Amino acid sequence: MNGILNWILWLPIIGMVGIILTPKAKENVIRMMTLVTTSITLILSILLYLKFDTSTADMQFVTKLPWISQFHINYFIGIDGITMLMTFLNALLFFICTLSSWTVTKNIKAYFALLLMLQSTVFGVFFSLDFFLFYVYWEVMLLPMFFLIGIWGGENREYAAIKFFLYTFFGSIFMLVGIIALYYASGKGVDSFNILAHQGGKFTELQVNVFGKSFSFEHLFFWFMFLGFAIKVPVFPFHTWLPHAHVQAPTAVSVILAGVLLKMGTYGFLRIAFPIFPQAAVEYSTIIAVLGLISVIYGAFCAMAQDDVKKLIAYSSVSHMGFVMLGLSAMTTQGMNGAVLQMFNHGTSTAMMFLLIGILYERSHHRWIVKPDGSKGYGGLSTKLPKYTTVFIIGMFASLGLPGLSGFISEALIFLGIYEKFTTITVIAVVGLLIGAAYLLWMFKRMFFGEVNPETEDYEDMNAREVFYMIPLCICVIVFGIFPSPLLNVMKASVGQLVDLLSKY
Amino acid sequence: MEYTVGNIAPIFLSPVIAFVINAFFGRKLPRQGDWLATLSIFISFIFSARIFGDFVFGTFATDFFIHKTFTWFDLSHGANIWKVDMGIYIDNMAAIMLLMVSGVAFLIHLFSTWYMDHDEKHGRFFVFLPLFTSAMLGLVLSDNLFSLFIFWEIMGFCSYSLIGIYNKKEAAGDASLKAFMTTRVGDVFLLLGMVAIWMVIGSVAYVDIYAAIAEGKFAGQTVIGISLATFAGLCIFLGGMGKSAQFPLHVWLPDAMMGPTPGSALIHAATMVAAGVYLSLRMYPLMVLGDLTWFIAVIGAITAFGAATIALVQTDIKAVLAFSTISQLGYMMIGVGVGSYNAAFMHLITHAIFKACLFLSAGSVIHSVHEQEMPKLGGLRKYLPYTHFAMMCCTLAIAGIPFFSGFVSKDRILGDALYFGFIAGQNPLLAIVPILGFAGAGLTAFYMFRMMFLTFYGENRMGHHDSHGDEHAHGDHHHGHDIHHEHLDARSNVPLLILSVFTLGVWFAGSLTGQGIVKVFGEKTEWFKILVEAPKVERFVKHPREAFGSTDSRVKAELPKAKYDHQSGYAGPNPDDHKIHSAHVVGAWMSIVIAFLGVFIAFLMYIKKSIKPLASMFPGYTETLKNKYYFDNLYVDVIIKKGLLGLNRFLSWFDMGIFDRFAVDGWAAVNRVLFKASKWFDNVVVDAIGVDGTGVAVNLFNLVLRIVQSGKIQFYFIMLIVVLASYIWTVNI
Repeated sequence: MNGILNWILWLPIIGMVGIILTPKAKENVIRMMTLVTTSITLILSILLYLKFDTSTADMQFVTKLPWISQFHINYFIGIDGITMLMTFLNALLFFICTLSSWTVTKNIKAYFALLLMLQSTVFGVFFSLDFFLFYVYWEVMLLPMFFLIGIWGGENREYAAIKFFLYTFFGSIFMLVGIIALYYASGKGVDSFNILAHQGGKFTELQVNVFGKSFSFEHLFFWFMFLGFAIKVPVFPFHTWLPHAHVQAPTAVSVILAGVLLKMGTYGFLRIAFPIFPQAAVEYSTIIAVLGLISVIYGAFCAMAQDDVKKLIAYSSVSHMGFVMLGLSAMTTQGMNGAVLQMFNHGTSTAMMFLLIGILYERSHHRWIVKPDGSKGYGGLSTKLPKYTTVFIIGMFASLGLPGLSGFISEALIFLGIYEKFTTITVIAVVGLLIGAAYLLWMFKRMFFGEVNPETEDYEDMNAREVFYMIPLCICVIVFGIFPSPLLNVMKASVGQLVDLLSKY
Repeated sequence: MEYTVGNIAPIFLSPVIAFVINAFFGRKLPRQGDWLATLSIFISFIFSARIFGDFVFGTFATDFFIHKTFTWFDLSHGANIWKVDMGIYIDNMAAIMLLMVSGVAFLIHLFSTWYMDHDEKHGRFFVFLPLFTSAMLGLVLSDNLFSLFIFWEIMGFCSYSLIGIYNKKEAAGDASLKAFMTTRVGDVFLLLGMVAIWMVIGSVAYVDIYAAIAEGKFAGQTVIGISLATFAGLCIFLGGMGKSAQFPLHVWLPDAMMGPTPGSALIHAATMVAAGVYLSLRMYPLMVLGDLTWFIAVIGAITAFGAATIALVQTDIKAVLAFSTISQLGYMMIGVGVGSYNAAFMHLITHAIFKACLFLSAGSVIHSVHEQEMPKLGGLRKYLPYTHFAMMCCTLAIAGIPFFSGFVSKDRILGDALYFGFIAGQNPLLAIVPILGFAGAGLTAFYMFRMMFLTFYGENRMGHHDSHGDEHAHGDHHHGHDIHHEHLDARSNVPLLILSVFTLGVWFAGSLTGQGIVKVFGEKTEWFKILVEAPKVERFVKHPREAFGSTDSRVKAELPKAKYDHQSGYAGPNPDDHKIHSAHVVGAWMSIVIAFLGVFIAFLMYIKKSIKPLASMFPGYTETLKNKYYFDNLYVDVIIKKGLLGLNRFLSWFDMGIFDRFAVDGWAAVNRVLFKASKWFDNVVVDAIGVDGTGVAVNLFNLVLRIVQSGKIQFYFIMLIVVLASYIWTVNI
């Protein structure tokens, strides 16, 4: 039984090895191998969902093998409700990205090998219950990302790749210090790298001496962890790597970046920062909420000023992830569930947006709503591309939180969650909803309405492959907008456990 | 027969099914599925009619209601119980509303099958029309604010799609964006108000809110310094203002006529805009508790009068109707504000019927003559006799001519407003409400008859119009100007005639003085007044939510004999029956005189031509009116283009140009200095002293840097050193 999780984790690596062994010239074989690997992973993750026991908050499908036994480092993986959703999201998005990458021509072998490696490492981050393993996956994940952006990216790709790499690395160094500190603080014993064993507020009394002064261990290292995760989310003011990375990254990598990698940041809060340092988390929740609020508003305002569609969506990710941070800072049932649901829903809706921009980019080779010379980049697309327009409308309205589509429920839950604790912040945050609708609809108006731009005259509508890979996301966005229970039931026990823990402080 | 979900849900579900089928297979169906959409609404109508019949002719007590709930999703874990319930709540008001919405929507669908024939957007139109109707029906069936909000927003989406349906036009894009965003301003406040109520009293079901009001759960609760009831009430009313196009959120509605005319009839006249009024009525006890009624009345009065003045100078037949819609919605809000609960709701119903008919008639005119600028029309009475008849009935109704429905409802609102403004002894400044209300009534009669006279009377001016390029891009692509005589047709003018029958006041059992001279339903004199009254919150306390479970609160009882609370306001000003009666009598006569005066002036101006048109008398003011008091300019040019976009551009520039460039990438420069310093330290200090061993780290470091050759990589390594150094300090546990 527990084998499924290991298969999900290692299958992409097997696929990667297979691709490496395949001759470079056999491009279609490489593509098919990737597709088969990702589709098996997707099927396995659906099986995992079906076998998942929603009644318990405990870790399931646990595997624990000794790895570096001198330091009590284990190969220790397992999932709970939160990671169940992330697993499914990750498997789904990589499957879709494989299909969307069909048109990549530059060095296909390396591209797909790195893509599969990325998938495995992302799974690894979500599955790891051992701190050392977690850190290894967290860092190794940067490697394929760095190359995927740096080699297959846009004009300014090297700058963006290095910036992404350094910024994230900068944060993870702090996280590493936190991990080592926890190792020492827990007495270098059997469970000193066990994430689960650290949870539950075990370090509230501990003091440390830094530069000769005594600090609360919990409060100090909460910030170390915070920095590591906040950069990944990204929370204002650590967000500036994101627009660069998104604009330069190839479509599939943008989808993965916005769809899953950003969730690793908020996942870090849920799995590590909050449960291990609950007292500090509760104490500093106002700061988290304020940063979340600034992300929401600031991201939305910046998005509205963008002329590059991809940059616009990148800033909208900052804004939407700000909602997740708001929900986390609430530390209530509604807010936390809303935050996790928003992680999933943002994953699907923003993936749709990035894929759609990618589809358009393949036709236009630019992404300007308004070109730098002031002329229209697009215009009248709805006349030329009816299928594309329909899917775009679904993705866009899911993104702006239209009831009946997925984004609404998570945003509503987040608002319900934060209201009691941060009323003023709630009142200000609704501006984010307003601006969120404004920039998307304004973009839509400028791109899709009006006379057909002569430049867009020969664009083809979405082909069968493109329609095929958008369908699962459309289904996710619509079905989970009307019936959120399949998602909420999976997560609520795990989230509830965290809420209960935090409510004690 | 018992009420089950099975015989209520089809009201909502059948149009949804039509939407789904049309969305996926519409193109393959004969006539692109328009018959399916129409049929689905007819099914809704049948089920609604049954409920209506039971509520009006049945033996239910007047306060009977159906309340059924089910759990949508459940976040409970352990002892922490929290779930979201959805449900159906039907009381008299909802029953009447259901019948009106489904009936009017059916006729509009029927008309549209004729109107949209051969239109390139025929199929698309019949995708969104049933979805829209189902959302409105769902909204009426909702038992709580949350599901109301969901349907509320879906309607917003449908109206966005229908306004922008002619997607080749830039103006259609602007109009749909404007409609969605303006109403969204109200919507986010509605969400906020809902969240506030939910988190304080634990539920947003109407019955729970009423019970909480009666139990005093709102007492002492504050939100950012103001009382919860005021805050939540204001937020919810702001939501209503957005949807119901109240000043200052009215700007979207006139532009919304970019869509096809039957769409305007459904969305921007009969149903969607009524949702805001419906919400205000549902939340009336909260508005009273939050002391917001005077505010609602004032907003309503400003809207009613202001929109009427703008309508005076409009030349586009649809624009006149659009502004008259805003104005009439203002009257409904006055009704809510002055405690005229029953009349406000009645005006909602009467207005829905005559305004739908007016828009359809306008559609009929436009479709027949391919022209919607009134100065280019005229004398159409001969060619379009049925349309003329229907439109005249509706115009008489909206103008407030006795024996027509508009008179019955508006007269009561104005009578109560008169009492509210002058007699109830409140702030004397509130006298502005009846003053603006009566003035607006006169203007309404004038501009509606101006429209009638310009369109249907006088000479036909179709032959000799000069320019065709008016600034209003027409919603309908038709060319050619030959007028055909209208024939009686089941799809084009029968819906108009059916609707025009219901512009008669007798259906609503009104009378000249609101005293009930006309008896239609025998025993149930003044059925409307008996059935619709402000929720008496106390009775909901006795029936806590759990007690209903999922069954009807089926109380069979004798209808109370025509005894109703005249003011029918919860905790409103203690009504003095005699004074109210006097106010009503005076109000009725005043409205009659004012209405006839308006019609008479219009007659003199446009038929006799013995008075010069207004425009020549006040050129400056006319210019202001033509620019709609410059609200569009204020919002778009100043607030959005200068304010919001300016701020956005500044922030975006700051983010990338300042913050990212200096605060983030700037570390590279800092680092370069550190790098040089360490190099100097290495070369000069370390080597000079000759302790080679200590320089190894720095040498290694330099080596790495030389390999990487990037300004920013250095930063990371410096940080690594700093962090590791601090780590060495921290491990002293």
